[in-house]
Amino acid sequence: MSASADLSLRRIILEMGTGNDLYGENYTKAACRAVQDAIHHSSLLLFRSLDIDPATMEIAVTVAAQQPDAVDREAVARELPYGRVSVEVTPGGLDIDHPDTGRRSVIVNVALDVRVPIPAR
Amino acid sequence: MPRRRMVMELGMGVDIRGRDATEAACRAVENAIRQNSLSVADAFGLAREQMLITAIIGVQAPDEVDVAAVAALFPYGQVAVEVRHGGMDAPGNEGTTGPTLANAVVLVDLDLPEDHPALDAGQTRREFAVPEPGGTAA
Repeated sequence: MSASADLSLRRIILEMGTGNDLYGENYTKAACRAVQDAIHHSSLLLFRSLDIDPATMEIAVTVAAQQPDAVDREAVARELPYGRVSVEVTPGGLDIDHPDTGRRSVIVNVALDVRVPIPAR
Repeated sequence: MPRRRMVMELGMGVDIRGRDATEAACRAVENAIRQNSLSVADAFGLAREQMLITAIIGVQAPDEVDVAAVAALFPYGQVAVEVRHGGMDAPGNEGTTGPTLANAVVLVDLDLPEDHPALDAGQTRREFAVPEPGGTAA
């Protein structure tokens, strides 16, 4: 990268996804599935088209789950192959209790804000 | 102007009972484009109307897809629709008509101005690992 390049982080995409754990009540597993859902609805071809290093990508993950403290943020971050990742967990998603079995299905949403350094024109 | 491929979006859509290839195709496109919010055009200093969109649909009955209906789903951009044989007609149950599945791929290109600094290869160039075809999963 040339020293004179005036690079600024610009958002190129917001990827959204939903995941669940139907029986295990594992919010981290549901969150990881939501991330996989989010990232596999698109392919960021511009890294190859424009020779941009994907390691320069910054990804801000927002996870929404009914029990935010039960989400392992590092495990969520490990789902992403490239980039500098931050994970924030907020209350949200949806839990469904099954009275007949005493179990619970958990549904988790994620949004991935993806930013890439782009030279200013 | 140099046309560069920026993003590919993927989706799948179903018409459960109607065997309506257009309905399935439209749902596949919605599934592809409604799970992402694209700001690549703005990030590279272009208007979103300048996005060059190619929608490729896979269904078992390509001739039955209303291409104009598919193109009308895109809120902006210059849209071309291509329909191929693909997707799936899933089996019905006890003589009923089965679901029709459509696959959709939406390719988003930008025509960048010749002098756009992002075209200056080497500016941020890095080698990075891309899995080889047929490779085993990590």
